[in-house]
This record gives sequence, C-alpha cells and structure tokens, in this order.
Amino acid sequence: MSLSKSASADGKTLTIQIKGKFDFNLVQSFRQAYAEVDGQTDKVIIDLRETDYMDSSALGMLLNMKKTLGESVSSITISNCRPQLKKILQISRFDKKFDID
Amino acid sequence: MRILVVDDQPLNCTLLKAMLEQQNYLVELASNGKQALEKLNDHSIDIVLLDVIMPVMDGFETAPLIKQQAGDVYLPIIFITALEDHQSFEKCLEVGGDDFIHKPFDKIILSAKIKAHARTRRFSQEANRQKKELEYHYNQTEREHEIVEHIFRNALSQQKNFPKICDFHLSPASMFNGDMFLMAQSPLGGFYCLLGDFTGHGLAAAVGALPASRIFYAMVAKGMAVSDIAYELNSALAELLPGHMFCAAAIIELSESGRSVSAWLGGIPDIYLIDKSGAIIKTLESQHMALGILEADEFERNIVHFEVNDTNRIVMATDGIVETGSKQGEMFGEERLKATLASRTDIGTEDIISQVQQFSGHSEQQDDLSIAIINCVANPRIINSDVSYSQLPFDFHVALNAEQMKRNDPILELVNMLSTVEGVDNHRSNIFLLLSEAYNNALDHGVLGLDSEIKNQEDGFFIFYQMREEALAKLQEAQIEISANYEPQRQHIRFTITDSGTGFHVKEDSMASLCQEHGRGVGLLNDIAHSVSYNEAGNCVELIYSLNNNPYIS
Repeated sequence: MSLSKSASADGKTLTIQIKGKFDFNLVQSFRQAYAEVDGQTDKVIIDLRETDYMDSSALGMLLNMKKTLGESVSSITISNCRPQLKKILQISRFDKKFDID
Repeated sequence: MRILVVDDQPLNCTLLKAMLEQQNYLVELASNGKQALEKLNDHSIDIVLLDVIMPVMDGFETAPLIKQQAGDVYLPIIFITALEDHQSFEKCLEVGGDDFIHKPFDKIILSAKIKAHARTRRFSQEANRQKKELEYHYNQTEREHEIVEHIFRNALSQQKNFPKICDFHLSPASMFNGDMFLMAQSPLGGFYCLLGDFTGHGLAAAVGALPASRIFYAMVAKGMAVSDIAYELNSALAELLPGHMFCAAAIIELSESGRSVSAWLGGIPDIYLIDKSGAIIKTLESQHMALGILEADEFERNIVHFEVNDTNRIVMATDGIVETGSKQGEMFGEERLKATLASRTDIGTEDIISQVQQFSGHSEQQDDLSIAIINCVANPRIINSDVSYSQLPFDFHVALNAEQMKRNDPILELVNMLSTVEGVDNHRSNIFLLLSEAYNNALDHGVLGLDSEIKNQEDGFFIFYQMREEALAKLQEAQIEISANYEPQRQHIRFTITDSGTGFHVKEDSMASLCQEHGRGVGLLNDIAHSVSYNEAGNCVELIYSLNNNPYIS
C-alpha cells in the first residue's frame, strides 16, 4: 500500500497513483497529495492501475477531494481501474461526479 | 623458390640448372610437356621455363594446361626460344606465356627476369592468401548474422499486431534494424507502444533491442505506467550500452477507452497529434534525454498527458524520415512531413514512406526509416472466461481479540489466503470489499461504538478516523470473529462476521446520497454479495458471495 504523485511536464496535470490497497489507512497522505494543487494545475488523475483493493472509505476520500478542489480544477479522472473496481465506482454512481476512464 | 626447366635437349637443361643453382634456386627438370605437368603435380613450382619445340607435348600445348593447373595464383611461364619471328612470339603470348628467354642464355637477363617474375608470384600468393582469409571471415560473419537474425526474429515474434489501432512501417538501412517498434496490450486493455532509435544502425545498434523489448513486454503485462517503463528501460540500457550509445524513444499509452494518452518522450523528433484530414492539433516535443544516458537517480519521469477522441491520430517517426536527403543534398524535413500528412484523408504509413523515397530519388537508404500512426480508438481487453473452481469444500475461522485488532489489518491477509483457492483469485477485489466493509462496521460501530453521523460534520471524515484511532488504542476487551465456508456445488462462499458489541442497526435508507461521504458501504455490500442478512441483535452479519453468475465479474 502506497501513494505516489507526479506532475506532468507542463505542470497542468497532477497524477496520484495508488498501489495495493486504497482505504482509510491512506486518509492523511491522500489529503496531502491534493492539498498542494495550485493555480497551475488544471486536471487531477487518480491512477488506479496498481490498485488491487478499495472499499467505501476510499469512495469517501474521493468525494472529499472533489469537495475540496471544487471548481479549481476542470476535471478529476479516475483512470485505469481494474474491472471489479470500476464496477464498485459504477454501483456508487461515481461516473456522475468523476470522469472514469 | 623452385624453378621447373622443361626442355628436350639435355645440354640446355644442364646449363640452365647450373646457372639457376648458382643463384640459389631449387631446380626441377622435365624433357617434355607431359613430364612437366607431372612435376607440377608433385612439387610446388614457382616459375616454369618452357621450351617450345619438344616431343610428346610441345610448349604451346603445355602452357595453357600449366596455367589451368596453377589456378588463382600467378605461375609465370617463360618461354625458352630460338625463334625470332613475331608470329611465334604472338603464339607464345596467346597460349599463356608471360615472357621469353633467348638461346644462347644470357646469365644477367635470365637472373633479372626470374627475380621480377618471382616477385610478382609472391604478391599473387599473398593476395590469394588474403582473399581466402577474407572469404573465410565473410562466411563466418554471414553465419553469425544468420544466427543473430534468428534470435531477433524470435525475440520480437511475441509481438501482436493491432491493425485497428496501429499502422507502422519499418525499413532498416541494413540487415539489422537500429530502430525498434514494440506494441502490446496491458491486462487493463491499455494499448502501449514504443518507438526507439538506437545510435547508429546495423547490428551494433540493434543489439539493444533485445533487452529493451523484454523489459517493455514484461512491464506492459503488469500494466505499469509509461514513466515507470521509461525508468526501467533507462536503467537497463545505461548499464548495458557502451557510453557513446543510447536510445531515443517515445513510449505511449492509449487508455482502454481510447480517450486519454500518456507519453514519455526522450530525444525523439516531434510527435504530431493530427485529425482525419491530417491537420496538426498538437505538436509534442521531447522533454528528456534519450534512454541509456542518465543515471537512475538523475532520470526524469515527467510525462505528457492529453485527451483524445476517436478521430485523432498520433504520428511518430524516427529521425531517418526527416533527415532523408534528396539528390540535390536537401533534407526531407519537418515541413515536408507535415505537408505529406495533410496530403490526403487518413493517410497511411506506406503513403508517407513512398513520398519520402520519391523525394530521395530512390537512392540508397542512409539510415533506418520508421514511422507509426496510432488511431486513438477504444481497445477492449480480451476477457478470459474459461475459469474453473475448486471442488474442495472448506471452512475457516478467525477470532481476533482487542490486541490483535490494534496491531493487525486482518482483511488483506484473509483475502490473500482465499485467493490461493482455485478460481477465487479473480474475485479478490470483491471479497476484499465485502470483508472490509463488514469488518470495519463490526469494529467501528459494534466494538468501538462510533457513530457515522460524525462524518457529516465539517472535516468529519478526518475527525472520525482520528476518534477511531484513539478509541482503538484504549480498547481492552473485545472480539471479532470471521468465518468463511465454501460450498463447491453452489460455488458460494458464506462469510459470517460477529462482534462482541451490543449490536447496531443498519438504517433502512441505506443507499446514501451521492454527496455524502459515508453510508455507501451498505449499498455496496447488497450489490456485490448474493445476500446480506443480520441477526436480530445486530452484532452478526452473514454474507453470501457467489463465484458464478456474478454480474460484477467480467
């Protein structure tokens, strides 16, 4: 379980990548990862390519982020979800609030 | 140096033998052409002194046969003649004679001629030896190339084609390609490709393709990010390649939906995002040095990221294209490439290559030419539906006390255990979710008595987890039991989670509104489990999960 973040070359996209398990154990580090979003950042990508597991606490953390960032970014994309995680996001109707790729 | 004297007159033979031996040459004698050919067979002869008129086989008949026998190495034939007419001289030359010596013999002239022809013979021998050596090395190299080519072919043959997504053309300047183009699909469906250009061309440039392709395929199979793939390739190439060699590369990932692109670009010419008409929407410049130069700790992972739609196309080429020269010494250049892209709708790589070749006047190719066009379309992943399930029924039971709850996060361990059962691994994310929700409910509400309402306050989400941590630290007497029971006939796993708390009740209105940060867990349980039931006290939940007919597995 770990979290890493990286900015794109032009500084406009912030990518947060979560490895292993996405649950409340990441509550602090996840908040810190998007706390640094500045005026330059236009887009946030939550890259779940290496995320095996998540539960409802992860969903809560994602919504918290959405609330905090509000209109300061033009989109938040949850990308590279494994099929089961994608289903979890769909059941929770996250596709209405996030761009799920 | 051994000289063969061929003369039917014993006096001439004796005289020549004496003169030559005086000058330290070895001498063999023959009295006619037939005998001369036999001597040539038995001894290694360097120069032949040949009389014209002899019995059995005369000089004119013998000379061509001697030359034939000598093969590739120059064997001088000097005719011994008393004839003075031009016609005879001409005839001597015609049959292969190289020179004449007149009777009576002049010792000095004979000596000069022998020396001159001996020298030429030595050069010819040397040249012949070198030629044979070259032939040997040439054959050796050919054979080695064949072996290496075989290895390359096999190493790159695991490559699958993606005709809907990718159109590419590679034409190496020599047998081996210093350019490489790799494609693969990740388990999540993302399409990855790598266009690489190693320093130089030919075999030396191509060797790097072997380790690079292995790393690329292995990492795509794990669905890694392009920045991680670039990092690994850089580390491996920096270690393997000599200092002056590196690999310019573009590594691109197109998501399964075909909607977003991530690219790591190092030292490669500009990449274009174009529309159907070939008009340029975006130009992507390399931000990094080529792979294999920087040390691992200096390496830059930054990528470019952009959104695309299904009419967009990505064009990438190695520098061989823009640097192709015309007969007038002009380069094809970027402007001509851009004009070519816009020269027709949905241009293909073959069209581009043929325009480049036309520009060069079809002259010999100086560098490897590679170009690829990616159509940004969705790339649904291949689903393997052929799964079999374990036939063994099993039960397990875990009971955690307060200390164990503080120290452990037991759910992942249980999921890993269950994943080793045949057929269960595909379901591990779902099983994690079920157990995690149920266990956390039991711990947070049953054992610790926390109220989810806290999460509705400002910053409540963080307050809740802080309170949880504090309450857990103080916890003394508590128990949570988790049991699992697998029925192979129905392919069901029944989980029961019982806590030592006084019980709590799930609200009827369990599907929380989308804006609320909590309350989503119960809804998820109901959707993913086959059935969910609670005991009356509210401290025990039973979940049945079905491994077959599960709509949430694809």
